[in-house]
Amino acid sequence: MGIVTRAVRNISRRKMRALLVIIALGFSMAIMISIPAGITANQESTLGLTENLGNTISQTQATINQTLTQIDCTLSSSMEGFGFTPPDMGNSSSMFPGGERPEGSGFTPGQFGNGTGRPGEFGGGAFSRGGTTPMNETIYSDISSIEGVAAVSPSLQVSEGTNQTISAPNGRTFTRLVPDYVIEGISLTSELVGNHPVLPTNIIAGRNLQAGDGGVVLLSENNTAFFDSEVGDTIEILDESFEVIGVYGSSGIEDATTLYMNLSDAQALTSNTGYITTITVFAENSNEVTEVASAISTLHPELSVTTGQQRLEQLESLQENYETALASAEATLAQTQSVAFQEIIVAVAATSLIVLFVMLYTVRERTKEIGTLKAIGFSNLTVMSQFMLEGVMLSLIAGVVGIAIGSVAAPALSGLLLPAASQGTFGSGFNLASNSGTAAAIAVTPQLMLIAMGAAVLLGALGSLYPAWRASRTRPAEAMRYE
Amino acid sequence: MSDAVLKLEKLSKTYTLGKRSVQALSSVNLQVNKGEFVAIMGPSGSGKTTLLNVLGCLDKPTTGSVLLDGVDVAKMPEKELYKIRKSKIGFIFQTFNLLPYLNARENVELPMEGTNIPKSERSRKAKELLQLVNLSGREEHRPHRLSAGEQQRVAIARALANNPAIILADEPTGNLDAKNKRELVTLLANLNLKQGTTIIIVTHDGQVAAHTERVLLLKDGRVLKERQGLHLAKKKLICPHCGSKMQVTDTICPSCQKALNTGGEKIVGT
Repeated sequence: MGIVTRAVRNISRRKMRALLVIIALGFSMAIMISIPAGITANQESTLGLTENLGNTISQTQATINQTLTQIDCTLSSSMEGFGFTPPDMGNSSSMFPGGERPEGSGFTPGQFGNGTGRPGEFGGGAFSRGGTTPMNETIYSDISSIEGVAAVSPSLQVSEGTNQTISAPNGRTFTRLVPDYVIEGISLTSELVGNHPVLPTNIIAGRNLQAGDGGVVLLSENNTAFFDSEVGDTIEILDESFEVIGVYGSSGIEDATTLYMNLSDAQALTSNTGYITTITVFAENSNEVTEVASAISTLHPELSVTTGQQRLEQLESLQENYETALASAEATLAQTQSVAFQEIIVAVAATSLIVLFVMLYTVRERTKEIGTLKAIGFSNLTVMSQFMLEGVMLSLIAGVVGIAIGSVAAPALSGLLLPAASQGTFGSGFNLASNSGTAAAIAVTPQLMLIAMGAAVLLGALGSLYPAWRASRTRPAEAMRYE
Repeated sequence: MSDAVLKLEKLSKTYTLGKRSVQALSSVNLQVNKGEFVAIMGPSGSGKTTLLNVLGCLDKPTTGSVLLDGVDVAKMPEKELYKIRKSKIGFIFQTFNLLPYLNARENVELPMEGTNIPKSERSRKAKELLQLVNLSGREEHRPHRLSAGEQQRVAIARALANNPAIILADEPTGNLDAKNKRELVTLLANLNLKQGTTIIIVTHDGQVAAHTERVLLLKDGRVLKERQGLHLAKKKLICPHCGSKMQVTDTICPSCQKALNTGGEKIVGT
């Protein structure tokens, strides 16, 4: 039976007091651990954001610089966003081989906006690719004869997925395609494949498509997961068999879902023989891009023509948006940190003060006991240790309670105590939270628990130091007189 | 008178209360020998408790010396004094002052903490002491489950734990009823008789004082007079009135039926 036993018994003797102290201290401790957890989560979010944006912007810039001579031509859609609309030119029945289109395949302008490119799919050659309105290949054969055109690459992009019916607030329903993958048919001539960036470049398995390839596909990493296949496997795409020839790594924020194959394969597969969705024109040099683009527009006013220069400008304005967003995210983080710091100071002070007052009260209440202990020969040090130990033990129990509360309620508590984390959607349509993956989880790590326990012991010791010192200094004769 | 356990010389104690100073003890000389049973009596404010506190090293005298077992403790610093209190003095208080969260045995073991007595030995000794104060079988009871008399007996056992040179009791019977008071005084007297324990008891109860050997009457911080108690007579087991044989526990002489609690006629001048 030593001072430890006595401390434990003293704590358990006054259960109500111990309980109140433990709850009060526990909440202080919970606050103390929830805030750093929240801060860490915020920091991770912002860091992830910064990294992602940085990567994306530099990759996109590289791609655009590489393809400065590239001009994308797609057919303007007259009714963007609502289902498939045949172009109002030529014989519509001949352009739309109706009925033969396989189930589940479709063109969805709402999904892949015209001209502006899909958010999140910059880079990897996928920028601004993919017009969605089919056009007759033969009508545009005259583009190649425009002066300054080095090459013309027709391509077909078809999304495959499942239709989802969405009810609009006005009672109307729309069908929207949730894409599983996108088939892109590329004209695999040696002239195009050898000289122009028409295919992904970062092959991570197998090989890239080559001129003259047929019956083979180049998958993205996402596609391999979807088809559950690897290089050399034979996969079924719309009931046709294809051999997986290679896999390319995704770049950009989102993982690409586009698989590449020979244009004629793609046309046959999707019953679009003779149709394409995009004509990619390569100018002979970057100085002629503007002239070539206007010549195309003059020749085919129905086409929407986008040059690399325009894309670069778009990117620059986007980059500005990002930088503003990033700056505001960083400002929010800094503000959050300063608020958190103040709150932790308050929690620490509250914890020490609670221990201080409780222990002062305890010492006062037990003056006679202290006198007795001293009278029967206890040293100042022993008396002091006993009261210190009691304070530390109380805080230790409170620490455990606090960690328990904190572990469960850290997200709620830090949400309550910290300014809202920067997870808003920005004007450019980029949701920062989703870009950085999911917002980092607010979790109490073992290290944080250990630190919190250490803090509990330290604050308990700090708070009971003065009361214990006072107890030890009590003159026994005076203590005995105290009633 | 050579084996003095306690010797006070020109002991004075002055309390300062604000601007006023109160002379609680002035020039007290006292010698207590080994095996003596001494009572200190006096009205309220006469300095009884102050004297006991100074004797027990709980308070320091303003001037004068206190020789306890040959050691001058008057000028000793606190970091040395606690050792003296632990090893040489056993305290008994009016309000028992047992630690409520410890059982009887643990309370008795308390003073042995920090000594080199092994743990098992402490427990054995505590049980032995509790047996001595007739509390066998109640070792594991906490104070609130013991009667006032029992609590005070635990306190006596606690005071004896470290075989002190002297036992100081401050109004030990103040909170006890007549029956328990008698039992307690008998217990102290027996301890003094059988174990030779030196006991100094502060009381304002003449009946209690009558069981001691020497009674010191204190007034205004001075020893007014000293008289002999009946305890000496009891040591001889003879009634001081009729001279017949009697028991230690008797309060009324079995042969002459005279009460033994007066003793006022045997005052010894100071």
